[in-house]
Amino acid sequence: MQTVLYVTDDQERKGNKEIMEEFTVIGKRISKVDAVDKATGRALYIQDFKLPGMLYGKILYSKYPHARIIRVNTEKAKALPGVITVLTGEDIPPVRLGVYKDNPPLKAGKVRSYRDEVAAVAATDLETAREAINLIEVTYEAVPAIFDPEEALKPEAPLVHENHKTNLLKMPWNLHYGDVEAAKIEAAFNVEERFSTTWVTHCCMGTSGAIADFDHADNLTVYTNTQIPSLAQKDFQETLKVLGFKDKRVRVIKPCIGGGFGSKLDTYAYEHVAILLAWRSRRPVKIVFEREEEFCATSPRQPTVTYISMGCDKEGKLLYRDMSMVLDNGAYTSWGATTPSVMMMPITSLYRVPNVRYNAKCVYTNNTYSQAMRGYGNPQATFAIESAMDMLAEAAGIDRVEFRRINSNQPGDVTPQGLKITTCGLPECIEAVSRDLEFGRPREKGVGVGLASLIHVGGGARIYKSDGCGTIIKMDDYGKVDVFTGASDMGQGADTIIAQIVAEELGVKVEDVHVFHQDTDICPWDVGAHASRTTFVAGNSALGAARKIRHRLLNMASETTGIDEDKLTLKNRAFFADGKQVLPIGKLLRGSHFKPRGEMMMADNFYDPPNENMGRDFSGNMSATYSFGTHGVRVKVDEATGKVEILDYIAAHDVGRAINPMLLDGQVHGGVLMGVGYALTEQVILENGRNMNPDFRDYKILTAMDAIHSKAVVIETVDEQGPFGAKGIGEPGCVPTAPAIANAIYDAIGVRIKDLPITPEKVLAAIKKKNGAVSCGIDAFTQKEQPCE
Amino acid sequence: MRLPKFEYFEPETLEEALRLLAEWRERVCVLAGGTDVLVKMRNGRLKPGAVIALERISSLNGIGFDLRKGLTIGAGAKLSDVTSHPDILRYYPAIARAARVMANVQVRNMGTIGGNLCNAAPSAENAPPLMALGAVVTAASLEEERRITLDDFFRGPGLTAMKPEEIMTSIFVPTPPANSGASYQRISARCGVDIAAVSVGAMIMIEDTVCREVRIALGAVAPVPMRALSAEAFLKEKVWSEEFLREAARISADESRPISDVRASLEFRKQMVAVMTQRALEEAYGRAIKR
Ligand SMILES: Cc1cc2nc3c(=O)[nH]c(=O)nc-3n(C[C@H](O)[C@H](O)[C@H](O)COP(=O)(O)OP(=O)(O)OC[C@H]3O[C@@H](n4cnc5c(N)ncnc54)[C@H](O)[C@@H]3O)c2cc1C
Repeated sequence: MQTVLYVTDDQERKGNKEIMEEFTVIGKRISKVDAVDKATGRALYIQDFKLPGMLYGKILYSKYPHARIIRVNTEKAKALPGVITVLTGEDIPPVRLGVYKDNPPLKAGKVRSYRDEVAAVAATDLETAREAINLIEVTYEAVPAIFDPEEALKPEAPLVHENHKTNLLKMPWNLHYGDVEAAKIEAAFNVEERFSTTWVTHCCMGTSGAIADFDHADNLTVYTNTQIPSLAQKDFQETLKVLGFKDKRVRVIKPCIGGGFGSKLDTYAYEHVAILLAWRSRRPVKIVFEREEEFCATSPRQPTVTYISMGCDKEGKLLYRDMSMVLDNGAYTSWGATTPSVMMMPITSLYRVPNVRYNAKCVYTNNTYSQAMRGYGNPQATFAIESAMDMLAEAAGIDRVEFRRINSNQPGDVTPQGLKITTCGLPECIEAVSRDLEFGRPREKGVGVGLASLIHVGGGARIYKSDGCGTIIKMDDYGKVDVFTGASDMGQGADTIIAQIVAEELGVKVEDVHVFHQDTDICPWDVGAHASRTTFVAGNSALGAARKIRHRLLNMASETTGIDEDKLTLKNRAFFADGKQVLPIGKLLRGSHFKPRGEMMMADNFYDPPNENMGRDFSGNMSATYSFGTHGVRVKVDEATGKVEILDYIAAHDVGRAINPMLLDGQVHGGVLMGVGYALTEQVILENGRNMNPDFRDYKILTAMDAIHSKAVVIETVDEQGPFGAKGIGEPGCVPTAPAIANAIYDAIGVRIKDLPITPEKVLAAIKKKNGAVSCGIDAFTQKEQPCE
Repeated sequence: MRLPKFEYFEPETLEEALRLLAEWRERVCVLAGGTDVLVKMRNGRLKPGAVIALERISSLNGIGFDLRKGLTIGAGAKLSDVTSHPDILRYYPAIARAARVMANVQVRNMGTIGGNLCNAAPSAENAPPLMALGAVVTAASLEEERRITLDDFFRGPGLTAMKPEEIMTSIFVPTPPANSGASYQRISARCGVDIAAVSVGAMIMIEDTVCREVRIALGAVAPVPMRALSAEAFLKEKVWSEEFLREAARISADESRPISDVRASLEFRKQMVAVMTQRALEEAYGRAIKR
């Protein structure tokens, strides 16, 4: 792995290089502040927590993808020594979860997927809870089920939710800017294609878990792995309300989290089940997932079927993009159903394209239900767009790199959706990739290169009325800083970035700053760790609070020393004038309250970025700035086995400013590896709704041994809105990987794979088809001839 | 999952181990590296009353080579020792390769070659090259010591020709004949830590461009590792040529009996048997004519 830093010409002219050198902490490769704790086992995860009197909960899942629950017999389970509480869907008040409130934590009457929670047990130890679950007898009556979203739209399809009357979710994702039909007539070159993607899952190293604990006055504390402490607090509050508790306090404590990637953006049945079990048993209850549960009972990235057509004029300028999609929502509704809101961004705004139309249908099926995952729909949309870009370039007879240059977004653009592009390093990203991969290099047999770009929100994303984050900072008598942030660290390094920003502003060292992010009783509100927003939004929030403190410190120092404020500098834990140290920060701080009318050094700040909610027609400047990137890859395809080997990989990203190039590397290389898995090997295999590969043996996440040689190129555009110029980079790393690889495969052997993952079997079938074969053998399951593809 | 209670023994001699085995009979499980056993115990598929660990029986762990006779690998030899043994690397590169491409560093440091064979997975990595090279295993009980050719060893997934009271002590591989070469090829979905979707071990002996001896063994494409006897018969006594090679590969695909599962479809496996057989024979041929 290798990282290269480029500063755009523009910034160089502005003399930004010099400014950079003035930073003491920003831009430095600083280890994560929690690295040693995590490496040595001091860090506490949900698995490590144990409360006095705590019970262990277990959940019983459905045995059918779609069935009526006729009877649940819990007698034997209740009789088992050590079992304290058994709950079924019939025993609980009507708690509802999710975006659509269509999901009870324990199901009564009907199950709609294998993952449906039917009953739960709390026992004095885990083994007993496990045993008790197996003693619960459920009688089901199976009803017809539906697993294919396109089939589920047909009138004769069984209904997943009878009351809903249709399997189509009532979320009209429709937009049309310009005139696509007119542009189609005008276009000199057109392409039209169907692409599909499949289920993949987050594979967090730390499995899901929660502990619910009521105090004597029915106040609730929930320890849980969540990316949204403040919103989770609200969800739990609602559950309390349904239980009949009013005006109670809900406290959410977030232990160290072993990975989020979007999986923890909602509250889940298991968290509410823990609350219900604790409520019934009056004891703390802990539920922690086993790995198989993590695979089967958490929500993956949703599959999509995408139809795209795109056209350009004779010179290669894009004229229109027309896309429609069907998304498998699964049996219940969480954030997966809203990913079209982010897909719209690349669809309308990746490259300059004046006329765009988009329509997406989210469809109930009897599969597991879908959720946000790194990129939030962007990887699925970009797979279709960037594959089609290569096809269109070929149709127009224009070099692929040149085609992207012609259509690249530029600073100052306003896209058809109303996204206001300010800083934009896309042209530099395209150049960096094409230069580095030597696109013109003479070709070897079976070797090819490909590229693909991305746009993503880089300055928050206004999904709720507020996109804000609060910060409180206090300094102690010795110049040490406590930062209470709304941000959620889940391993990505938010705490380190915030510490760096605050340390830079207050002239202290990173180790002087302690960031608290784990407790809603202590930390201010935040909308959650999503949309690559934390560095930008929480960073700006922390920066604002630090500025207030800095201002007061300088003010007080000036009073104390009699030196003009603008002659004082704050660095190295002290005030300096004319290059000489005049006063250490600690001394000033101690003096500030050991005196009449003393004061404490504290400040708070709420930052809500200048972005807009989408309007009725889905237009609006969703983010305060946008991140760009281009990935390039050289692959070698074994035409006899269909195996794809990655020889070189380069990922160029416009990140505004690299606050910590080491953590940035982690995001990019990690994102790329996740993207490579998405492209080539990963797949949750659902057979009639049942997860067939719920373990790491058969779910082919890439291992350390599969890590590829990749190079990260950082383009710094220093965004005016960002903290020290930074934009978000959490998600982009995995967005353009799959199309870049698909494009490289096409370049290598002349076949285009349109369905992810690109397995050797699909590559072989495509080669056969290209060579004129009609049949690709007998399918083992159906015993029928299968057509090639 | 917490493991149910079991007795645990660490005998230091083979005899002691065999006595314990005879005493506990069906309720006992032999543990070598434990990389299969512990996985099965943890997921509840295996619930032994007692576990006999072999690690301290040093007579099971050695690797010895005699140019006139052949190679003797102790059943308890670690896979990492097999991959790095100089004589194995020099005279049996296909065996070294099979042990090297499987699993990961940690598993290879714990797992044994005997464990891999006794576990009798259809995909057992070490079986195809050993079968191709004519390996014979030795099984000992309190009563007797007997030799079983590897061809007769596998009886079904998880089933072997060994009796419950027997322990595998060693694996013997004859010295490869002059002008012979062997190869091991495999394919799986990802590179690291992945079970082979198809694997092939092959050995050929070439005399004046004529293929005098040929043995091809296939892994993961039948309930047990199997010989591709028709392909072998086809190739035997033929003058080596591209065309015959391809035909032999096709025949071996025909005689393989794979299934479809989440790892690969039947059709793909058959295709890969042909590709891997061809590649194994090519490499074996290259080695044969070099020696
Ligand atoms: C992460 C992981 C990846 C893996 N990848 C692969 C792979 O790529 N390819 C592959 O083939 N395997 C793989 N395995 C399986 C396993 O590692 C191998 O089969 C290994 O060689 C088993 O050896 P062991 O010494 O650990 O056997 P153990 O687990 O100790 O024993 C396996 C079986 O053999 C019996 N046994 C062991 N020794 C004797 C003996 N001397 N006499 C009689 N019976 C005996 C045991 O009773 C048991 O039934 C993997 C395992 C893991 C955990």
